[in-house]
Amino acid sequence: MSPAEQAVAQERIALAKAGSAEAWGELYGQYAPAIFRFCRRAMPTREDAEDATMDIFIKVRQKLSQYDATRPFSAWLYTVAANHCWDLLRRRKLRQDLETGEVENMPLEHPDPGQLERLIERRTGQEMRRALDKLPARSRMALVLRYYAEMSYDDIAATLGVRRTFVGVVLLRARHQLREILEGQGGARLAAGGAT
Amino acid sequence: MIHFDEMACLLYLEGQLDPQRSRELSAHIKECALCRDLLHALQHETILLSSALTEDNESMPARLASERARSLPSWVWTLAFGAFAAGAYWFWTDGIAPWFNQLSSAGFGGTDMFSMIVFSGAFWEGWSDMIDAIQIGALILAVIVAIGWIRRRLRGPVAIAVIMAALLFALALPQQAGAAEVRRGRSIQIPAGEVIHNDLVVTGPSVRIDGTVEGDVIAFTRSLTVTGHVTGDVIAFAGETMIDGTVDGNVRVFTRSVILQGAIEKNVTAFANSIDLVSKANVGGGMIVFAGEADLDGKMQRDLLGLIGRTDLEGVIGGQTWIRGGSLTVASGADLRGPATFEGAQQPVVESGAKLASPIRMELTQEMQRTRRSTARVLFRAILGYGGALVVGVLLLVIFPGFFRATLREAGSIGLPIGVGALALITGAFLLVLGVLLLIVGIGAGVAGVMAYAPILYVAQVFVGTWLGNLIMGQPPEVTSAVVARMAVGLLIIRVAGLIPFLGGLVWLAVFLWGTGAVLLGFHRMSRAESAPTAPLPA
Repeated sequence: MSPAEQAVAQERIALAKAGSAEAWGELYGQYAPAIFRFCRRAMPTREDAEDATMDIFIKVRQKLSQYDATRPFSAWLYTVAANHCWDLLRRRKLRQDLETGEVENMPLEHPDPGQLERLIERRTGQEMRRALDKLPARSRMALVLRYYAEMSYDDIAATLGVRRTFVGVVLLRARHQLREILEGQGGARLAAGGAT
Repeated sequence: MIHFDEMACLLYLEGQLDPQRSRELSAHIKECALCRDLLHALQHETILLSSALTEDNESMPARLASERARSLPSWVWTLAFGAFAAGAYWFWTDGIAPWFNQLSSAGFGGTDMFSMIVFSGAFWEGWSDMIDAIQIGALILAVIVAIGWIRRRLRGPVAIAVIMAALLFALALPQQAGAAEVRRGRSIQIPAGEVIHNDLVVTGPSVRIDGTVEGDVIAFTRSLTVTGHVTGDVIAFAGETMIDGTVDGNVRVFTRSVILQGAIEKNVTAFANSIDLVSKANVGGGMIVFAGEADLDGKMQRDLLGLIGRTDLEGVIGGQTWIRGGSLTVASGADLRGPATFEGAQQPVVESGAKLASPIRMELTQEMQRTRRSTARVLFRAILGYGGALVVGVLLLVIFPGFFRATLREAGSIGLPIGVGALALITGAFLLVLGVLLLIVGIGAGVAGVMAYAPILYVAQVFVGTWLGNLIMGQPPEVTSAVVARMAVGLLIIRVAGLIPFLGGLVWLAVFLWGTGAVLLGFHRMSRAESAPTAPLPA
């Protein structure tokens, strides 16, 4: 975002904070598509994503006075969205598989780079998204936070409620799970195999 | 050669590896093709992931398209409200309004409509013939609710199978049996010698039954006279009622004045300004009387229970007598064969010659005492009510923390929960009437639904109170005691505000609407959360 665009955005935020419905409408129009897409990636169904988007903007409007203008607005918005979605998912008890104990089982072997390249080359976005949809909630959320919302490891740790040092492990584990899904049932176990 | 593991490679790519290790890895990959290739592969994977996640492959749904649309109630609520409004209108025009018209033409105002529905419903088992339209409406409503519930709980083919099975079951149910005979007119007379082999429903300014009715008689009229024979019950909403014939069943009357001088085999229930049981009358059972004044000179074989302003007893009472009211005179001809109790401000007058099984037990109710006691009672009840609500609130918080948080969050959006609460109130009232009507045709589910409304109404104050506490004391930290403290403060404010005359009523109304809305929305959120499909675990 250019400095001029940033200035416009900041002005909109200030006006919306002061209660301008018009400015709020413009902010909504600017950020709603990205937040909807975020929710669509993080939540299991489209309906969930729609509901979550609506709820997130209700929250954002209520909390707008708490926004610290020195931070990028989109980062703050993604933090609110991430907390909301993760809170919903957590309430759905999708965390059975997410105990930190499993992190210990994380394979640290060197996968075969050639095999990995072959696995991911010529993959379409749709194939990847389909595989992402099959991931357990925390793994999917971790990937969305990092590679969609581009959140820092600190923010991811805070959102997911894990220690910062585990964020890398969670991300790597999510990648392994994704590869397993991409491989399909009959494929070779690339994720855990390979040279050491 | 020792390679760097995949974790280190990923952290290196993400800029999260510590500087020392980072330098080592940089140096290592210059010489190690394997680690270099792995880095490339991981980077490729990152790019693929990012592009798959950020790709704009789906358009925004219409309901999210504009912020303005978002603030409107969702189509579900709009549709539900529309359906209920249409249902209520239809229910009123087809079910209630014709009765109102008949009542008006029979000389009644409509003020006691509800009690009439309730009482006549409770006393008469033949409603089913009269309220087909309501039944159908109720069934449609029940089916809609059931389908909504099933859709939420079950999915796909299972839901379809359940609905189909339910429909088959409904079709297999037997049809309701025969209809009552209905007569309308300015002056209705069943002459002596005429026999009606059915229940009889009559509406009109004047009704006279000299003949025989082999069934129940339901009358909405200004003046009802029965000199003939009724083999079932007589249920009357009438200006004046006179029973001079024989009734094999019960007599239930809601009337200005009633004169009973015939033979009634079973019991009498009377809501009346005045009731006169003349000396030749004989009631085979007991009597329940709510009346301004009562002259009871005839015989009743069993108990008398009365809330009566002025009572003159000169007849025979075979069982117990319990009367609460202003005054009681037991005349010389009276014969009370069971124990008698009178609750009132004045001593009962017992004339000499009156036969009593035992002296009349007197419970004096003095106004002063009552006032003092009632003030103390109001205070006691207020404290008890406050404590009770707080205990319920704490239990909710401890046992169902997720639901508590969800509901509290819903309460925070104020407008929506109040709207939903108001809708629930309308729906609740609608279902209450429907439930009462359905009770007689044998479906208790409607009533059960209404019963569920009561606890929701009760816990409404907990959430509004906690919200209020949060408003005053600030958002609590994630500590139960802090939430409880806010709940206690908020509930106290509501309870105290609720004691203010008139304004208190409005406060409670607002709390009920707001809180029930929040609770229902909380349920909605929780049910969505629980019924959502679980993401499959990787093998």
